[in-house]
Amino acid sequence: MFDVIRSSAVPALPGFLIVADAAPAGNPRPTVGYGPIVGLLAVIAVSVWLGARAQQVVRRSSFLSGYFLGNRGLGAWALALTATVQSGGTFMGYPSLVYTHGWIVGLWIAGYMLLPLTAFAVFGKRLAQLSHRTGAITVPDMFRARFASPKLGLIASLLILCFMSVLMVAQFKAGAILMKLAWPSSASLAISEELIGPVDAEYLFGLMIFAATVVGYTLIGGFLASVWTDMFQSVLMAAGVVLLFALVVPTASRAGFDAPTLAAVNVTGRAFASGPGFAEPGRSFLPPTLALSYFVVWVFGGLGTPAGMIRLMAGKNTPTIRRSIVMLSIYNLLIYLPLLVICICARSVLPDLAKSDEVVPRLALWATDGIWGGSLVAGLILAAPLGAVMSTVSSYLVVIASGLVRDVYQHFFRPQASQDEIRRAAQGVMIALGIVAVLANVWPVEYLQTLIVFSAAACGATFFVPAWMLAYWPKATAAGTAAAMLTGAGTILVLLVTGIWLKSHGWQQLIDQRATFSSYYPGGFHPLLFALAASLIAGVVVSRVTKPPPRSVVGRLFLAPPEAAEAQAAGQA
Amino acid sequence: MRSGRREALWTLSLWLTAAIYSITWCTLFGYDRSVDSLTFVLWFPDWFFWGVVLPWGICTVVSIFFAFCLIQDDPLTSSWDTASEDTPPDDRTALEEEGSV
Repeated sequence: MFDVIRSSAVPALPGFLIVADAAPAGNPRPTVGYGPIVGLLAVIAVSVWLGARAQQVVRRSSFLSGYFLGNRGLGAWALALTATVQSGGTFMGYPSLVYTHGWIVGLWIAGYMLLPLTAFAVFGKRLAQLSHRTGAITVPDMFRARFASPKLGLIASLLILCFMSVLMVAQFKAGAILMKLAWPSSASLAISEELIGPVDAEYLFGLMIFAATVVGYTLIGGFLASVWTDMFQSVLMAAGVVLLFALVVPTASRAGFDAPTLAAVNVTGRAFASGPGFAEPGRSFLPPTLALSYFVVWVFGGLGTPAGMIRLMAGKNTPTIRRSIVMLSIYNLLIYLPLLVICICARSVLPDLAKSDEVVPRLALWATDGIWGGSLVAGLILAAPLGAVMSTVSSYLVVIASGLVRDVYQHFFRPQASQDEIRRAAQGVMIALGIVAVLANVWPVEYLQTLIVFSAAACGATFFVPAWMLAYWPKATAAGTAAAMLTGAGTILVLLVTGIWLKSHGWQQLIDQRATFSSYYPGGFHPLLFALAASLIAGVVVSRVTKPPPRSVVGRLFLAPPEAAEAQAAGQA
Repeated sequence: MRSGRREALWTLSLWLTAAIYSITWCTLFGYDRSVDSLTFVLWFPDWFFWGVVLPWGICTVVSIFFAFCLIQDDPLTSSWDTASEDTPPDDRTALEEEGSV
């Protein structure tokens, strides 16, 4: 197909698709073809169909628990493939970092090796139990019921709204890029070349289509639509990784297992194959302090993400949780390490991509060019990240909408609202969120992954310690939990503002990813570590000096129910 | 509640062990290496294989062991569960009873 030398000799041209970067000498410039757009349309069609199916299920049940929690009926596959942090970042941000910085990104993501276990074994059972006992269908609902404090529920809602909105908006950019890349005609490429700045017709068109689709099917199917499309994209993503691995890795490593790395080192530098990773002079991508930090970020950020917590609340039973750990452990092993190898190979065969965010879609188009049915195969591979992005946006839409409707509108303004009224309110909120996200992405941010990492870390900083207090500490108080939330969120925001302020005064943060905005990293450690420590101290200290929640509330949530005591007595007899 | 807390603490201990091992190994053998000194295990540089790939595989096996052998099956529902979820959890009654925040 293509060899390293030929493709490395082709200069990168911003705005061109990969077909322009990797055209083999002597052949006419290959076109994208209709495969990718067919693949993307297929994903959209399946997602809408799943949304419609989910709507039928919701109609057969109570609207609130059906629409926002899927009637607590998630099985092992659904829980395993949807309760963690696979997202557009998995197929765009992570590959982009591998392409840019090299092997060290494997250490950056290594916290994922225990993510399946930590995600389910730390909070899984307790959150599901507490959710059943309190009748909570949202995360703020549970905080409110556990601590008998409407104010705490409101604080949780507002914080979720802030951070999840940022996460959701970031994902819209990824969706728009994918739609743009799949555009079939060369004429459209010409348009993108000629336009200046952010006003890119294909990007904007892709953004509109993406927004209409994902908001549309979430609107009709709610939580279940989000979960089912998430499962669908997880399968697609696995298929995409397998296909890319089969198409790219053997070609790139024809001269030996070490060939892709050595070729990549030739076009970058020796740091591509070692720590702290390849970066521009003066920068250090992943010093050891930051490597340690990211072990904390992925695990605690993941545990504190409300979108993950809500899915744990929807688990069917404990055997389901155990099976989910097994499935997700195997799935993660088979996704992240192969994807790392694929993207190392990408650096050797496509060495000069102008936008590293686009490495997987471009690699898919490159790898399938010139092979029979290649366009359709590329379509399938491109569909995987689009599916990932769609399902992530969908899950965030549900969490944000449920937070606003259940926790703010129903609690504080219309406690007697009918099911129809709640439905209309939820759908109105989703449409409004879609419009806001589109407007925010007309001028997209520089690094998709930066936003995702910051917001995930902010969620972890805000909700991990409070969730631990909620689940395992009977003496925790509403005031203490609120203090933990606000201190965690405040600390991480203060460090972000400090980073921006320092940058505006000429001081550069020389570690981690280069981004338009970046937090201050005291001592080279990620801000999340300081935020978690501050959150823990605030939570414990304030809980110690304030009045605990009523015994009638805490006892019901922490003591064994009568049937469990009877069963234990029978066992002893 | 006790089984959940015990499992959570075991899990976090395992996570800490994996983190310390991976970071120590990669820091000692993977930082500022010259390309000439690298050897490869499959596609992976040696430091990466022993510092990330191998522990990842071990953690996968241990996670499966945890799931099958250590995590206890507990009922998620009980007679104390709230009957209806259509209205928000009733926090006002408890507040009035106790006069708490």
